[in-house]
Amino acid sequence: MENNKRVLVIDDEAHIRRVIELKFKNQGYQVITASNGEEGLDLIKNQQPDVVITDIMMPKLDGRALCERANELKKKRPFLTIVMTCRISPTEQDWISKLQDTVFVEKPFSLQTILKCVDQYFGNEE
Amino acid sequence: MKVQRITIATFVIFVIGIGIFAQALYQQEQRSRTQDLQHKGNYLVSLVALHPMKNFLGIKRDYIVKTLAEYVTSDGLIYAIVQDQNGSPLLSLAHRDVVAKIPTDVEQRSLYVNGLIQQTYKMVGTDHTINEFAKPIFEGGQRSGTVRMGFDLPPISVFSLQRIKLMAIMAFFAFSMAVLVYYGVTLALRPLHEVNQNFRNICIDSVPVSPGSFKNGGVGEIIKGLEQSVFQLKDRYEKIQAENIDLTTKYGVISFEKHNVFNLLDSINHGIIVTDIQDNITHINSYMLNLLDKKRDEVIDHPLGDILVHDQITAFLLQQGAMKQSSGASYIETTFPELASGESFLVSLSYLSGRKEDVIGKAISFKNITSEKSAENAKHEFITRITHELLTPLTTINSYNEMLMDDEIDNVEMQKEFYNTINEETSRLTSLVKTLLNISKIEMGSLTLNKGLVKSDWLFDDCLTTVEGAAQKKNITIERNLPDSFPSLFGDKELLKVAIINILGNAVKYTPEDGHIQFMLTEQDDFVIFEVTDDGYGISKEDLPHVFDKFYRSTDPHVTEQTGSGLGLALTSEIVRLHGGEIEVNSKPDEGSHFKIRLPKEEYYLGKQ
Repeated sequence: MENNKRVLVIDDEAHIRRVIELKFKNQGYQVITASNGEEGLDLIKNQQPDVVITDIMMPKLDGRALCERANELKKKRPFLTIVMTCRISPTEQDWISKLQDTVFVEKPFSLQTILKCVDQYFGNEE
Repeated sequence: MKVQRITIATFVIFVIGIGIFAQALYQQEQRSRTQDLQHKGNYLVSLVALHPMKNFLGIKRDYIVKTLAEYVTSDGLIYAIVQDQNGSPLLSLAHRDVVAKIPTDVEQRSLYVNGLIQQTYKMVGTDHTINEFAKPIFEGGQRSGTVRMGFDLPPISVFSLQRIKLMAIMAFFAFSMAVLVYYGVTLALRPLHEVNQNFRNICIDSVPVSPGSFKNGGVGEIIKGLEQSVFQLKDRYEKIQAENIDLTTKYGVISFEKHNVFNLLDSINHGIIVTDIQDNITHINSYMLNLLDKKRDEVIDHPLGDILVHDQITAFLLQQGAMKQSSGASYIETTFPELASGESFLVSLSYLSGRKEDVIGKAISFKNITSEKSAENAKHEFITRITHELLTPLTTINSYNEMLMDDEIDNVEMQKEFYNTINEETSRLTSLVKTLLNISKIEMGSLTLNKGLVKSDWLFDDCLTTVEGAAQKKNITIERNLPDSFPSLFGDKELLKVAIINILGNAVKYTPEDGHIQFMLTEQDDFVIFEVTDDGYGISKEDLPHVFDKFYRSTDPHVTEQTGSGLGLALTSEIVRLHGGEIEVNSKPDEGSHFKIRLPKEEYYLGKQ
């Protein structure tokens, strides 16, 4: 079950960080966490995660700004971003379409859904 | 009628004039001829009387007869008789019947008067007047004979060729003079006529005098016409004066109304620019002048494009102009970053119509919608926050439950922890929904306070009991501070509990382990005061003014690591306000916070509700 893929979970909600961390660790992923966008961006730059799972509404640097910064970084090194959002408004659709390798999952989500997205990205879906 | 009379009078005067003139001519002619006849008679008689008597019998007789015969034919000589002293004719140049018709007394007087004599008589049996001239012939101092000559006064011819020529010349000059005088008078009267005509033109009303009468040229007619014109002018002037008063009144009313409209436009909280059809500014209100930072004089009558340099608005006006909308209004939302930073405006265009429904100008209004936009953004933010706050515990519950159901948690302790988390998040969700409902009710004004007697010590204890469990977990000491007697409150106990628990709960939440909290109840004047003091993390200077704002959460890590909606203190503040109380906060980072709630006392509660 061990794999060398690194997953970064960014959320100010400790319970959600914890449960996603557990889920992915159980699947053999290496998991690192951050409680705000700024901390998360540092980890993206320094730890080079393969998957970033982030909330939208966060202190310091929110999910939108984080996604845009991540999109810049993806030009050098692609990675998957999964954004946990409450709802996707029509105006957000335009913004989303400009982002590379980014998937949106609406809350409340199933952990299986997130896992499936990651598996699809790495092409190891059964 | 007048014209006819004048014509007849002129004709009569003309005829009389001609008659008088002819009579004068006739008399003049007669006098002239009589004198001429006298001269001729005297001369001829005297001439013949110079001859001696023998000449009338001798050789010279023929010569004398021939000479006299010439006078007979040309100068009216009727007869010439030379008689001797006995009265016997020596020479007689006349018809026999003429001599016989000479009255005897005339002959006798001529024969016996010593000197030249002239006699006028009528021939016997005729009306023919004859002038007889007679002179005695003296020879040797003795009268030897008498010369008698009868002249017929020739008929007077007034209209002789010569006279007709003279009259023609005079008539020509008279006519020329008349023409010249007429022309001169007409020329002289022309300004007067023109003045009259001008008066007529000024007087729009019909003039009863026909224009022809002026052509006939009477000064009186002109003056009469002028008088009529002046009267009409006077009438007209009076009418115009009346109209002027009416118009002045209307102008006054319109000016007043216009002034009122302009005052109204100046008083409204919108910018207004009115332009004419050429896009020149005809009016601008005070609000717009302030926005553009210009004076009225710098703007009025200037092209709109020169005053309002704004690409978006120019494009909007062009687009609206292309659509040729003459009614209704359209709008755009825009900003003036250089003039009013951070403010949003709704710019709308209306076309102004004239009486004939034709477009006579534009009205462009600028409504400051910053607060509306802000409210709209706040509403959007509010909904987004609520959704987030509701979905976050739901997501936790859902995902924790999923992990448990998928048997991904083997460890029993961890399972217990997961169940606890689900329980806590459910409570959090419930509390959040209740808080939201209360806030919603307060904002809609539909929150009904279930007021009743609330004993402050009961309220104090209930609140304390609720948070004690959480405080014990963190080993936080809560110091109770109570007065000797407990005042009563009149309010909604449940809501007051929510308000105080929010404060106490926050104190527990944001105070580190082993910390201290002081919960104090005091009575001051007509107020019951609840005070919560902690030695926790405190609130930064930046966050302090916003702690009672809805959804406001500090970015301080001590805050963000705790669950919270940012609604608790907002609800507390509203509940206190609804009870007529006050809430205040003092705090310093790392020193702790102090919350004070002042609620009005109800000392004389008599069971009313």
